[in-house]
Amino acid sequence: MEEEIFRQRTDLGKLNEAIEQIKAAIGTVIIGQQDTIELLIAGILADGHVLIEGVPGVAKTLTAKLIAKAIDAKYSRIQFTPDLMPSDVLGTSVFNPKTIDFEFRRGPVFGNIILIDEINRAPAKTQSALFEVMEERQITIDGQKYIMEEPFIVLATQNPVEQEGTYRLPEAQLDRFLFKVEVKYPSLEEEISIITQQHQKNTTEQVADIKPVLSQADIISLRGQVRGLHVEPKILEFVAKIIQETRNNKSLYLGASPRASLAVVNAAKALAAIKGRDFVTPDDVVWVVPHVLRHRIMLTPDKEMEGVSADDVLKQIVQKIEVPR
Amino acid sequence: MQRFLYLVFFALMAGLSFGAGHKSVHQKPAVLREDSASAITVRTLDTAAIRAYSKQPEFKYKEDAVAPTLWTRFWRWFWNWIRRVFKSTSPKKGGSVSAFWNVFFKYLFLVLGIVAVVFLVFRLVGVDMQNVFRRRPKAVPVPYSEFFEDINAIRFDEEIEHALAKHNYRLAVRLLYLKCLKQLSDAGLIEWQIDKTNSDYVNELANADQRSAFRFLTRQFEYVWYGEFLIDRPVYNDISGSFHDFNKHVA
Repeated sequence: MEEEIFRQRTDLGKLNEAIEQIKAAIGTVIIGQQDTIELLIAGILADGHVLIEGVPGVAKTLTAKLIAKAIDAKYSRIQFTPDLMPSDVLGTSVFNPKTIDFEFRRGPVFGNIILIDEINRAPAKTQSALFEVMEERQITIDGQKYIMEEPFIVLATQNPVEQEGTYRLPEAQLDRFLFKVEVKYPSLEEEISIITQQHQKNTTEQVADIKPVLSQADIISLRGQVRGLHVEPKILEFVAKIIQETRNNKSLYLGASPRASLAVVNAAKALAAIKGRDFVTPDDVVWVVPHVLRHRIMLTPDKEMEGVSADDVLKQIVQKIEVPR
Repeated sequence: MQRFLYLVFFALMAGLSFGAGHKSVHQKPAVLREDSASAITVRTLDTAAIRAYSKQPEFKYKEDAVAPTLWTRFWRWFWNWIRRVFKSTSPKKGGSVSAFWNVFFKYLFLVLGIVAVVFLVFRLVGVDMQNVFRRRPKAVPVPYSEFFEDINAIRFDEEIEHALAKHNYRLAVRLLYLKCLKQLSDAGLIEWQIDKTNSDYVNELANADQRSAFRFLTRQFEYVWYGEFLIDRPVYNDISGSFHDFNKHVA
């Protein structure tokens, strides 16, 4: 009875193998956080950027570093500070006395995997410098266009906004992140495992031991596969209904954008690929919706005062819509 | 040196006064001429007009004493009382009401005023006053409507026969799955709801064997329906056989 009748139309063997390797490598350092790791991998496969939010000490930066280490690509890290300037991120023209000309010196954003640590510590001026590169994968400086090398992934971490010395990210920038992953505290069992396994180990050495699993070319190829996965029209309609409902919901001041609709579909495709399927099911959509939409919608002031969260509203929205079957 | 400076100052002052006096000698006196061209007519007040104006209410400056109404007297008393309450709170003027009550009423009015302002702001913003101090919002009931497909209203055997007659095996598998869900719902093993996904129903089954078997059927359905895998009659028969076996165990 359990014999499978169907065979996948897309060969996802290599992808599933690589994912298992990444999970195993990260699992040696990080205990738990399966959802965070899965979302980070899904973000990379769906050609999206990921914003990781959590209180200090829940291994946000470490997880992002490990994911970056698992991919054989140019990695750079930028620590965002209140005095950081756009030119510190993008690069700047410097006068060369030998050639008697200005030369463009590339900033740390020129890379494949960019880890921006504590992104909400920089003011809006510096944040806006990332708009073009995050959406269009290019930078225009002094009338010159610089195209980013593929894959280009921004993994950003931030502490919750109510903490001191932070700025709220502009809505336009938040919309450019595929996922906002909320890292929670570990459970009691996980906490015990963390203490037991880690108290005699050095994290720096552990990170250094991680070997790359995927190359740049692998990522590009896998992304092509994920893009080509099948999505039934009724599921596309299901996604559109959810997005429409965010625009009509009385609890929301700002609904999701058309970019969000595409993001939900792309994220669901990446999740389906991780699950070993070459088609999307409503389960995939329902699972990705809070992670894709929670940072793209804005609650009305009264709902915020009532203590309602974006996730609560999204849950209610999904409950209203019939699952296609 | 000092004497010299005094001499220079004296000479300057003397020169200035002489110049001023010399100018005034040459000025001619102003002459007023009689204006004989325009004749002056003397106008007197029109007493009839004054009388007419005085009869108009707008020009009536004396008010006739009218006895105040009960309503006016009440408001007059009320405002006098308010004035007395607030005046007598000052240390110089002690009112007839005791100092404690004066202070009490003063702060009571202040608190009432603040509450009124806060209430107005909340009303303008549109805050639900009943839920202001509650942590959890009210649960929103899931709206059902006639547009949602009701598995209890479908005649499955007939519909499956129709689909098979049209060689629409994909639709037939979908109907088999919906029939299976209905049977599970009728048996009280799952609770049918529009927002539940297939995995929700799988996880709802308490029996591990049933769960495993239903997971397999769900996977078959998902491949055919969401994955749009093409199936022919032999494949359909295999899938249909699995569904019949499962349904026998449920019933």
